[in-house]
Amino acid sequence: MPSFDTKAIEKIHRDLHTHLPSDPALRVKALESLVVEKGLVAQESIDNWIELYAERIGPKRGAEVIARAWTEPEYHARLMEDAGQAVKDFGYEGHATEHTKAVQNTADTHNLVVCTLCSCYPFSLLGMSPIWYRSAAYRARAVKEPRAVLAEFGVELGADVKVRVWDSTAELRYLVIPERPAGTEGWSADQLAAIITRDSMIGTARDLALEPS
Amino acid sequence: MDGPQDLGGKESFGPIEVDSPEYRDDWERRQWALTKLVTTPGVTIDWFRHALETMPPAVYLSVPYFQKWNANNMALGIDAGAYTLAECVSGKAAVRGASPPVVSVDECEAMQRALSVDFSREIDAQPAFQLGDPVVTDARPSAGHTRLPSYARGARGKVIAHHGAHVFADTGARGDHRAEHLYTVEFRAGDLWSDAEAAEDVVCLDLWEPYLASA
Repeated sequence: MPSFDTKAIEKIHRDLHTHLPSDPALRVKALESLVVEKGLVAQESIDNWIELYAERIGPKRGAEVIARAWTEPEYHARLMEDAGQAVKDFGYEGHATEHTKAVQNTADTHNLVVCTLCSCYPFSLLGMSPIWYRSAAYRARAVKEPRAVLAEFGVELGADVKVRVWDSTAELRYLVIPERPAGTEGWSADQLAAIITRDSMIGTARDLALEPS
Repeated sequence: MDGPQDLGGKESFGPIEVDSPEYRDDWERRQWALTKLVTTPGVTIDWFRHALETMPPAVYLSVPYFQKWNANNMALGIDAGAYTLAECVSGKAAVRGASPPVVSVDECEAMQRALSVDFSREIDAQPAFQLGDPVVTDARPSAGHTRLPSYARGARGKVIAHHGAHVFADTGARGDHRAEHLYTVEFRAGDLWSDAEAAEDVVCLDLWEPYLASA
């Protein structure tokens, strides 16, 4: 069982830092060979988990959910009420999505999601997070200068648009619903899903292009 | 705790690598899989996060993300007696175990779905705050794990949602898995930052009742 002792775990971290090689590839190889030898996991299972995230879990899931919300008012209402439940219609619930909250961009509101204390992310809806989302720069700056951060992503907001930053400090996760672009009237949910980008669901993109990127 | 993880509002990290990929190297993918597939019994999300926060600060701030997870998985396993330091350094098990069955991609997917974990709990205590209530956060640093970031300490905000009671991170990291009422609190940027870009922008945080007092 864990010790739940801060001083004890601190010392273990220092010892590991002193004794392990500096190359992270060697460190991961050491842990992998250790747990495989101990019989805690089969090597092939590791390959299978990687395949799962490469092939089946990614931002297409979140895009599909949002495209349905754009085309079905009843689903939109359920998504806004309890997104963690609503994504279960698709079987897309999973890593960290149980308490997901959908936040809606409008003409005068822009939502931006960050986790300043670690890197919380709705993996099951968006796949693996991009490196920038996990970076110190994004975590440090998104809450203090969201407009400057957005400008680096190419999003220029006027003074008439209010920014709402969501710092995922508990077990809630956030999914931004971008605005449906003009010119998509009559489009099918599949057509719409193809233009919804990962960054638009984090909030680092705002206006969606009508051509899939 | 005032550890290196508490990054909100810290300065001088420079521009964001807006085009960075999900992974730079294969070992990052493998570490991601190892973290999800090999868990040490009794380790909770709160103890995992707290353990990660106790890395030497200079290391925490300088190594790639999944290198931190690698060190943390080793540290948590050593702490709980699952491995020794010597085993982690050598990559060799003192005693070999029988090969476990292979987890197929479909089974990995089922495991992934099961990670939609409900952290809400029923508790007897009534919530102390209602929607719209003005609140102020604790101004004091926490000795142990906390999910009240330093930039929002001693800050005035407004309750905009109540989520019932959720397992409380601060005590959970000490092995005490009680629940406390959880709220979303909205703060004006101008109340958090003296040099806010736009004072009426807002930052919303999910905060447990023990962090809050009436304002």
